[in-house]
Amino acid sequence: MSAETIRGPAVGTRQRIPFYRNVKTIGVLAQAVFAAVLVLAAYVVYRNVTSAMAASNLRGDFGFLDQRAGIPLAESPIRYTGENTYGRAFLVGVLNTLRVAIVGVALATVLGIAIGVMRLSRNFLMRAFATLYVETLRNTPLAVQIIFWYTALLTPLPPRILNPVELPGGGYVSNLGVALPWPYPSYHFGAWLPYVIAGVVVGAAVWWLRRRQLRLADRPGNALGPGLLAGLLVMVAGYLAVGKGPLPEATTASFREASGVVTVFRDLNGDGVKQASEPFVPYAAVTARIGEGGLQVQTQNLVESRRYVYGRFYFPPLRESEFDELEVGFADPEDAAERDLAIHFFSYPSRGVVYRDLDGDGAWDRGEEIDPEASSPRGYSAAIRLSFRGFERTLVADRNGEARLPIFATDFAVQESRGVNISPAQLFAPPAGGGQGEKEPLEADFTLLESRPLVLSKPTIPISKYEGGFRLSEKYLALLLALVVYTASFIAEIVRAGLQAVPKGQREAAKALGLSDSQAFRFVIFPQAMRVILPPLISQFLNLTKNSSLAPLAAYSELFAISIIIANQTGASVPATIMIIAAYLAISLVFALVLNAVNARMALVER
Amino acid sequence: MIEARKPPVRQTGPVAWARRNLFGSVGDTIVTLVGGGLLLWAVYSFVGWVFTGAHWEQIWNNIKLFAVYRYPVHLLWRPFTMVALVMFLLGIGAAGDRSEDAIVRGVYRWFMYAAGALAVVGLLFWPSVRFGWLAVALAGLAGLALGTAAPAVRRRLGWMWGASVVVAFLLLYGVFDSGPLQHVNTRLWGGFLLTMVLSVVGIVVSFPLGILLALGRRSQLPVIKVVCITFIEVVRGAPLITWLFIASLLVPLLLGLSDPDSISALARALVAVTLFSAAYMAENVRGGLQAVPRGQTEAARALGLSGWQTTLLIVLPQALRAVIPAIVGQAIGLFKDTSLVFIVGLFDFFNVADVVANQPSSLLVPGGIRMELSVFLAVVYWFFAYRMSVASRQLETQLGVGVR
Repeated sequence: MSAETIRGPAVGTRQRIPFYRNVKTIGVLAQAVFAAVLVLAAYVVYRNVTSAMAASNLRGDFGFLDQRAGIPLAESPIRYTGENTYGRAFLVGVLNTLRVAIVGVALATVLGIAIGVMRLSRNFLMRAFATLYVETLRNTPLAVQIIFWYTALLTPLPPRILNPVELPGGGYVSNLGVALPWPYPSYHFGAWLPYVIAGVVVGAAVWWLRRRQLRLADRPGNALGPGLLAGLLVMVAGYLAVGKGPLPEATTASFREASGVVTVFRDLNGDGVKQASEPFVPYAAVTARIGEGGLQVQTQNLVESRRYVYGRFYFPPLRESEFDELEVGFADPEDAAERDLAIHFFSYPSRGVVYRDLDGDGAWDRGEEIDPEASSPRGYSAAIRLSFRGFERTLVADRNGEARLPIFATDFAVQESRGVNISPAQLFAPPAGGGQGEKEPLEADFTLLESRPLVLSKPTIPISKYEGGFRLSEKYLALLLALVVYTASFIAEIVRAGLQAVPKGQREAAKALGLSDSQAFRFVIFPQAMRVILPPLISQFLNLTKNSSLAPLAAYSELFAISIIIANQTGASVPATIMIIAAYLAISLVFALVLNAVNARMALVER
Repeated sequence: MIEARKPPVRQTGPVAWARRNLFGSVGDTIVTLVGGGLLLWAVYSFVGWVFTGAHWEQIWNNIKLFAVYRYPVHLLWRPFTMVALVMFLLGIGAAGDRSEDAIVRGVYRWFMYAAGALAVVGLLFWPSVRFGWLAVALAGLAGLALGTAAPAVRRRLGWMWGASVVVAFLLLYGVFDSGPLQHVNTRLWGGFLLTMVLSVVGIVVSFPLGILLALGRRSQLPVIKVVCITFIEVVRGAPLITWLFIASLLVPLLLGLSDPDSISALARALVAVTLFSAAYMAENVRGGLQAVPRGQTEAARALGLSGWQTTLLIVLPQALRAVIPAIVGQAIGLFKDTSLVFIVGLFDFFNVADVVANQPSSLLVPGGIRMELSVFLAVVYWFFAYRMSVASRQLETQLGVGVR
């Protein structure tokens, strides 16, 4: 190649480049123009927004945050009533988002790893199932999956909250979700707190010392176990030492029979009525005892969820052991005898069916509750009366100092989700003096019990929803289930790719060293795969968090769902949108920071 | 004398396969038996429900709502013509055997099969418009024939697609105030038609926007860079459903209109979908840009190409080629995510299901038909998304992404 072909200014004869062709000048100019256009656009937008907001009565300030919201929120991790402000309602939303996101991330990771490992299983069936799982769930919209789970959890059986599945130990599962027994800190918790702190300190110290000792001796070993054990020992010893504490001064229980609510509070002025200035006593155990009384219901004739529930009756879930004396029977025994009716109990004394023994075997058979002679399938209608003496139940008040008694609700009309009405139960006066159907307030005695630092609250179903215990609503469960199952399908693919990225030689080397299959997986393959898996996994965690905004489909009240209500109620749509975006950005940022720190720690292990 | 030994265990055939894949060890056998039992039970009860328990008639009765929602019945020939046009172009694309277009042809073929299957389903369950479906099927075959007979046509395919977008819009929206081409208000659009409009417009319009944003993010000019990064990260930080909600509130305000209904809900949703998709597209394209070796740019500059020429002719073609699978993945995601437009009151395929579930005749069915509806929706969405993901995986193999 000869020199003549090179064009351009000869060396030494450099001319100044005119400013309009200077790359630097052009860059600065371009940015200036761009910035000017942006500022202009921002100004136009600002003017438009303010004038349009003024014209359509929208507000642009954040003053609404201090106003009373009056939004009923079914579930909230913090104390919230309709009296609270919009600001607090929004906070409840953020917490509800975190509640579903954090649990969802943990469960989705476990399920995703399991499915991902299954995809590489030697077993054909597991492989096939995992492939089917991933390919179907990954390719269907999350919205459809939420509807699916929500329907699946809500629909299947007749009034299920009155017909719940009882778990051993006192939990319930029904179409309104799950309720489990749960220990809550009682008024006496403060006495135990020093021991808890001491336990944490001692545990940490033991762990640290043991780890140091192991390091100095250059031995492998477990430092976490002894640490945990020591800490727990201190806490348990403290718990036993503290024992039961006396109730706070002037603690009383008051009772509103119309709603069945027992309120535990400190009656400072001694008038027996809860004043606004008198504090609640949260998580106090109280035994309620009722002398005599009764309930009456009409049997059900309704079609629900593809099942006929003719002739059925439901009282709130009660236990026979809670009564001194109990009698359940027809309100009008003569009429029932005349019509040849009998009662069959599914669960004495709460659930049963009225039937006529058509085949004469002395027991209820499916179909006998329907009158075969009637042209339209109608059940036998009859009033069922439950009369009792000496009902006693021990309840634990909630964080608002409130507990609810089942039997004292004068009406327990249940509005089921599918528009099924369950006829109200009528409370009647003690059988000795009372006429049928009269509502008569019943007397109740309360004994407040002294508690240990923790009090076990068992869930009850006083009317048509759970009280006490630890509750997960069907809305939360449906959303959680859909998010977990959906995200796990993506995580499974990430895990599979990560496992396949580990060189085959690693596995072979591990086997050669005499490690078993499971050891090779746990100590050699998986830790290495983790480094490939973690970065995309983090983005899936963020996706799950953001996808929780589909909550309105499951009627779950989180950040986005509550913000919509706030925007609609206050007309503060612009501030509300700013809050939504800020909240999501903040959550994403915090998640990303924490997870990236974890990632950096994992990556450091590499040389 | 050597004793006769037993013949070795067979290493091939179904028995050996089962021994290796199903009964490899004790644990394996337990898993196979228990898991297989559970799986069989699940399949059995699901199939039983599908054929005896479920009430599908309500869905077939409303198949028109699912397809186009309230689009006027006497103008249904217009969406059909549009589908026929698309099938015609797909047919042309699927014809021929030029090896360098194998990827494109593969994608075309998949879509062709998908559309064909839909036509069959429509023929079975929506017989009142069977002539429409016949026309659609014929158009596809005609395209295939034309493409085979006159390969030169295929070279003009890009232009034809471009023109077909304009024609499709005119067909759907209408041209005149009355007559066969009268305007059809977008409030009447819905069903699968709307889902497709949202997905296609979202992905197509966001493509150039995403490229601009990606280039802006890599720009050396700080102002442009900061603006692009802010836009991308803020949009990606919040979920699509919130952007849809925000767009439905803010778009009229941004334009200074006090009456929010002066802009159709569809337009507002499209703004949100497109900008959201653009932010994700930008990140995909950025991945491609980073994959192009630095030497390519330097070589281009050394050859005397200007900055723009380098970007347009050297860097972008290579970058985009590398991220086609990612973009297909994004298209699948967007297709699924269009179901979120229920929040702004649009009746896309997903939201029509809610309409059908709340019809009086559906409420009369004991227990409602939400289960049937969600299974139906899942199957249809899955059908399209799965086909696209298969195509994307084939693309990945053919492009050799990540193999090397």
